[in-house]
Amino acid sequence: MNPTPADNIYLPKLARLERVVDEIDEVRTFFWRFLDPADQKAFEGFKPGQFAQVSIFGAGEFPASLPPSPTEKEVFFTVRRVGRATEALHQLQPGDVFGVRGPYGNGFPMEQYAGRNLVFVAGGIGLIPLRSCIVYALAHREKFGKIQIFYGAKTPKELLYRPLLHEWEKAGGFECHLTVDRADNGWQGHTGVVGSLFRKPGVTVPTENTTAFVCGPPVMFRFVIKDLLEMGFKDTDIVSTLERYMKCGVGKCGHCCIGVAYVCMDGPVFTYRQIKKLGEDI
Amino acid sequence: MRARLIASDDVIKIVDVLRRDHEVMAPFYGRGRDTYFDTVTDENRDRIQLHIPNPYYPPKRYVLPHIEQMFRIRKADGSYEVQSTYDEKKRAIFGIRSCDVAGIHHLDRFYLGRDFKDPYYARRRAHLFLVNVVCTDPQVDINDECYCLCTDTGPAAKAHFDLQLMDIGHGEYLAVAGSAAGESLFDQPFFRKATPEHVERRRKILSEVRHNFKATTGWFSATVRYISQEKVLEKTWAEIGSRCLECGGCTYVCPACTCFTVTDRPTGPNEFERVRLWDACALYGFTRMAGGHNPRKAVHDRRNRRFFRKLAHYFIQRELSMACVGCGRCAEVCHGDVGMPSTIEMIRRATTEYLAHESNAR
Ligand SMILES: Cc1cc2nc3c(=O)[nH]c(=O)nc-3n(C[C@H](O)[C@H](O)[C@H](O)COP(=O)(O)OP(=O)(O)OC[C@H]3O[C@@H](n4cnc5c(N)ncnc54)[C@H](O)[C@@H]3O)c2cc1C
Ligand code: SF4
Ligand code: SF4
Ligand code: FES
Repeated sequence: MNPTPADNIYLPKLARLERVVDEIDEVRTFFWRFLDPADQKAFEGFKPGQFAQVSIFGAGEFPASLPPSPTEKEVFFTVRRVGRATEALHQLQPGDVFGVRGPYGNGFPMEQYAGRNLVFVAGGIGLIPLRSCIVYALAHREKFGKIQIFYGAKTPKELLYRPLLHEWEKAGGFECHLTVDRADNGWQGHTGVVGSLFRKPGVTVPTENTTAFVCGPPVMFRFVIKDLLEMGFKDTDIVSTLERYMKCGVGKCGHCCIGVAYVCMDGPVFTYRQIKKLGEDI
Repeated sequence: MRARLIASDDVIKIVDVLRRDHEVMAPFYGRGRDTYFDTVTDENRDRIQLHIPNPYYPPKRYVLPHIEQMFRIRKADGSYEVQSTYDEKKRAIFGIRSCDVAGIHHLDRFYLGRDFKDPYYARRRAHLFLVNVVCTDPQVDINDECYCLCTDTGPAAKAHFDLQLMDIGHGEYLAVAGSAAGESLFDQPFFRKATPEHVERRRKILSEVRHNFKATTGWFSATVRYISQEKVLEKTWAEIGSRCLECGGCTYVCPACTCFTVTDRPTGPNEFERVRLWDACALYGFTRMAGGHNPRKAVHDRRNRRFFRKLAHYFIQRELSMACVGCGRCAEVCHGDVGMPSTIEMIRRATTEYLAHESNAR
């Protein structure tokens, strides 16, 4: 009943921002390291799909996915500027100190998917949490069957991690299909919602022995789930990460409670079968 | 039962003993019916009440303050010093009601249970001494909305207190120890041995008191079942929700509500504090996410949430105790009459009609 100060579950550990990469409008990737190597070491055991609580002192704390795969050597966040704390993160310069605690959440049970085909379906910045799984899967390419990525954004300018997608595809090993809702002058690719990619000529999506990962805004999620179910996916073979307002990340503040689950503890990864049962709007 | 006898006139001496090494909180009268818990001082000591309507503002705040500092953050040399700030003060609550004792026990399970332990709560709790006073006076102790009988939390707490006092008439109180710390008080000269006759008197009074409850919502467990089996119609939830004024009052007075929000604020040049404060699922912004999407928009969704969370089997199993202890405060403060007892009543009526309709249709 008497924890030592080290046991404070809310205590952020200090980290230093190393470098910043502009991704798309309002979205940047922040590479960082803990000041204390022991903290860094402890953190590196994270799983794809887990998240961390990021503190910008004086501005607040917010949850952010871990887009790196544990197979990579660096840790970073990719964050969209939307409010007080995310704005403050965007203001930081390399060398500045902020706080991180975690990793939290269940993550994707990647070992369970060994021997299966993987279908990644992402919309907008929904690609951030899936990046970790994709890189992980490619690092263990021999363990998985067919790997496909279906990714869409509103406009070409809003496609995230584009250089990476090209790089990965060139390296081989998976199919990558991109689409935008509205093309601009330079866009030669597909236009239409993400689901329309499934019906593109030449595309075959296996449904047997396949796990589909779906992440994106609520509307996209609803339509894609419908498509996948029609294609014959079982509700247990569709997995997603839910997003909720979060304050603690450890099951105490109550904000992320949905149905009978806490997104921060029981999620953020859920199967569609579980999501249906939670009985609330996504 | 480790029980002792104490004269009514001596009861306050327990406060004096506790004050030697505790900050002692006790109930007082304000204006009119208003009552509140406050720190006992030499000046107000004689105004402590043994029989009094339970204060609306729950003693929960001595383990989970309305606003609490978590860290002090100091910017220095391009880095930060983050220091957890713990409250290690020894406190005693004198005159805590049985429902509120159950409330604290619920918070114990919630904040100290499962994977993560809340360090702020743990410290406050470890230094807290509880003197429960049993509700026996139907005129003042027991409000119209009290329904601890249905939640099985009162009028006499069965456990989780350090010392329990009960007025057994004839100018005498029976004291029961609930912990070693409580029992050690029995060394004080003003405690006398109790006889089986006293214990029998206690039992008799308790069984009489049980008849003095006005709001006996005997449908509590049935409602838990209805909610858990999803038998409550959307229409009924909407009806309950439409009466809610979204003031959040019900959760602020609730001894079993646990939700909080966290925010940073400046306390000086290059100094900040991170604080947490009570928050409520009844409030619009509770689930609002960045980007403006709010998955729980309709007011009846949030109402639904509160009752669901408090009464669904799943939560009871998970938190190991029910998140309603029958204090009736939410009913007392609600302007829309959707406190727990009337909500249970509404759900029961609607569900009975629905079930009758269903069996006729068969
Ligand atoms: C598990 C999890 C993982 C997440 N991972 C990531 C991630 O990897 N990357 C990421 O970018 N985000 C991620 N998010 C979302 C991120 O946590 C929120 O964007 C962040 O909490 C916002 O905090 P804030 O303090 O900046 O915003 P706040 O100031 O708390 O709130 C912003 C609010 O202000 C309003 N607002 C301000 N600006 C805008 C705007 N431009 N458009 C619309 N509304 C606006 C809105 O009402 C919005 O709700 C994740 C969330 C969860 C739960
Ligand atoms: S829900 Fe109402 S009756 Fe139940 S513990 Fe909370 S305030 Fe008291
Ligand atoms: S609910 Fe029961 S224990 Fe609480 S004040 Fe009323 S009578 Fe006393
Ligand atoms: S974020 Fe606080 S309970 Fe999940």
